Amino acid sequence: MPFITQTQRQSDYNLFPSTTPIVIDNGASYFRIGWAGENDPRLIFRNIVQRPRHKATGETVTIVGDHDPALLKYFDCTRSGPRSAFDSNVVYQFEIMEYILDFGFDRMGADGSQVDHPVLITECVCNPVQSRSKMAELLFETYGVPSVAFGVDAAFSYKYNQQLGVCDKDGLAICPGFSTTHVIPFVDGEPVYQGCCRTSVGGYHVTDYLKQLLSLKYPHHMTRMTWEKVEDLKMEHCYIAPDYASEARLFQKGTKEAEDKTRCWQLPWIPQPVEEPPSEDEIARKAAIKEKQGQRLREMAEAKRSSRINELENELHGLEFLLQQLENVEQNDIPSFLSKTGYVSKQEIESAHVKVTQSLRKAKGEPKAEQVDIEEKMDASTTEKYPLINIPDNMLSPEQLKEKKRQLFLKTTSEGRQRAKQKRFEEELERERQNQQDEEKRLENPELYLEQLRARHRELSEKVEQRKRLKTNGGNTNGNNNFSGGVGRGERLNAAQKERMRLLTTAAFDRGKGEDTFGARDEDWQLYKLMSKDNDDDDEGPDMDEAELARISSRLQDIDPTFVSRPEVGPFQPVVEIPKFRRLTQEDYQVVFGVERFRCPEILFHPNLVGIDQVGLDEMAGVSMKRLPSKGQDVEERLTSSILITGGSSLFPGMSERLEAGIRMIRPCGTPIRVVRASDPVLDAWHGAAAYAAALRFPEQTFSKMDYYEKGEDWLRRYQLRYTL
Amino acid sequence: MEREVIEAELVLPTYLNFKRIQMYDKYPKGQNRSRHWKHLKQILQAENYQNYPPDEPNYVNIGSPPSMHPCKRICDITGFEAPYFDPRTNLRYANADVFKLIRSLPNEYVQRYLALRNAAVVLK
Repeated sequence: MPFITQTQRQSDYNLFPSTTPIVIDNGASYFRIGWAGENDPRLIFRNIVQRPRHKATGETVTIVGDHDPALLKYFDCTRSGPRSAFDSNVVYQFEIMEYILDFGFDRMGADGSQVDHPVLITECVCNPVQSRSKMAELLFETYGVPSVAFGVDAAFSYKYNQQLGVCDKDGLAICPGFSTTHVIPFVDGEPVYQGCCRTSVGGYHVTDYLKQLLSLKYPHHMTRMTWEKVEDLKMEHCYIAPDYASEARLFQKGTKEAEDKTRCWQLPWIPQPVEEPPSEDEIARKAAIKEKQGQRLREMAEAKRSSRINELENELHGLEFLLQQLENVEQNDIPSFLSKTGYVSKQEIESAHVKVTQSLRKAKGEPKAEQVDIEEKMDASTTEKYPLINIPDNMLSPEQLKEKKRQLFLKTTSEGRQRAKQKRFEEELERERQNQQDEEKRLENPELYLEQLRARHRELSEKVEQRKRLKTNGGNTNGNNNFSGGVGRGERLNAAQKERMRLLTTAAFDRGKGEDTFGARDEDWQLYKLMSKDNDDDDEGPDMDEAELARISSRLQDIDPTFVSRPEVGPFQPVVEIPKFRRLTQEDYQVVFGVERFRCPEILFHPNLVGIDQVGLDEMAGVSMKRLPSKGQDVEERLTSSILITGGSSLFPGMSERLEAGIRMIRPCGTPIRVVRASDPVLDAWHGAAAYAAALRFPEQTFSKMDYYEKGEDWLRRYQLRYTL
Repeated sequence: MEREVIEAELVLPTYLNFKRIQMYDKYPKGQNRSRHWKHLKQILQAENYQNYPPDEPNYVNIGSPPSMHPCKRICDITGFEAPYFDPRTNLRYANADVFKLIRSLPNEYVQRYLALRNAAVVLK
């Protein structure tokens, strides 16, 4: 039930004599213009101006009112939205007002050198004189209007309905408009502005509230919630609950009634094509491709390895050849020979030889142990190698002393090596023993054994993983902090470093409280050990864990063909669910609104729901009557027995019932209360104005350009129509 | 201009016969963003209502007073009656489900909900 917009160009402008007034209802949302005495306005359009750029020519053009959105595709509207001349209900941007008046008069068919008709234009109650005089100036100077009259829309509406017999000459006009709501008391058919009251809440706020609520509820469909669409939704679906609390409770309980009252707006939705699961062939094909790639990688690695072996062998041959040659060369010629080869001494060549042999072994994949043996063999004859060791110092020359030191060093290192070898050997034995035990266990109960092994593997891998995680990102176990992108000092340190920082700070600041007993106990000194930087390194624990983990995985690989060492995909790990995108359904494109249907118009009665600290509609009636200068029970009773609601926002279903109940609550018991709705809440202001302007004595109420300039601003401020002619 | 645009008379003509002063003469520099029209607040300030008798109605004194009724508290999300208040987000909520929801809301949305009833934190 959206408002109608009619902007057809009128052709009968010249048929009207220049005494026929032009009547304008200049509302904050709609602009209505027509001839006095006619039944309906000629033009109705939204009181907005857009100034987009024409895409083809690049010129900025002016478009007034609402138009076919299909035509707007030729314009670039990105830089200018629709603009209104109103701030609240007062006209303040007269440039925009001028565009609107231009459009209005143009469509009325004006073509003379000026608009030679009196103009009756509506304004808000107690319009500031600045706005009023600017409007008069605009009409006089720019359009050459002979005379002007200003009136209040709600008053015209009340008078019109009074003539229709809907309401009496004493009564209240309650006018919830677009940006404000007014209550105007009428006594003897004249509005009493002393008793008037205005709350800054209206249809605009209702639509805005609905728009915000829906876009907060459905952030994905935010772009669909255009102002016009939400306005339509409001007019079609919103209603005023007889009692907000009980209505809301109905919805909270989810009753059948509430379900019936819930409305659903289906957005355009196209079902997505169903994705077929990959066929057997596809899977096989993919596996084949993967296998092929793996094969290629393996081949590449193999080629690399063989080329390296080749290279090393060549180098080895070269070195052997060099050594052989060196044997043949005479003692004296050695330095000159060596200078050619680039080596300094025979020892250097030999060590290079050993190195190359070692790396060749490594490349060929032979175990390292043998190499150690070879090394051992090389210096097997230990005692004759270190002849100087057992000779006391005082029997040696300085050079010999140096030599002795060197020999001592060599001896200790070789002994250390031997010890290490011994240890390795023992470990080997131990492992062997363990394997044997394992084997026995396995033979006893293969299933159980396998299970145990897996459990142990899982445990260890988790432990190792945990440690790694701790090491990389400290104690941030809750995933949140990792994504926050924070790079403060805390985030950059790992757990051990953090601990150290903590120790340092506590050591620095935890002094001076009472007696300082640091150092009294031996444990205190451990602190420095903890603080020392070396402590960052891992202790032995994890290494052992890792070794054990490696052992177990290799064992599992041996006996369990299905085993995969990566814990993520292991059969015993809880399968991590990959968040799969749910296919969007029709329901995802529905905008459901239940409570919103009556929550939004409720702000007319409780403006504090949207943070406006003023009284609502029902209380306004009471405030208005309290403000009246002529008090008295009979006056008040006469007022309450003729309450007229007019204005766009009074179209909500349930408005008059709710208002009646609300006013009954603030009035004494037994007060006669009659709430009626205007015959046409939206257009009655214009109807009333048109009827008023058609009256014979209307010209008395207008003022001319001369009056405007002679009588001055103070007169204009007090200017007020007499509504009863 | 495209034919259909001209046919629909979408664009307001720049020259209008009935006007004494054309728009381009009045505002020769065209639409100027920096041209300032006094806002309602400034207009009202300039009106100097304090110089007139207080019983004379004017735009300011016809404004409604604050309500005498106790403030209605409704759930910011659902619109139900809200017996509870979350001190962290300052949102009012109706029940535990809504509480769960508001605690999972990003701050931007919390602020937008608060802005609905003019209670959002405004940084100046």
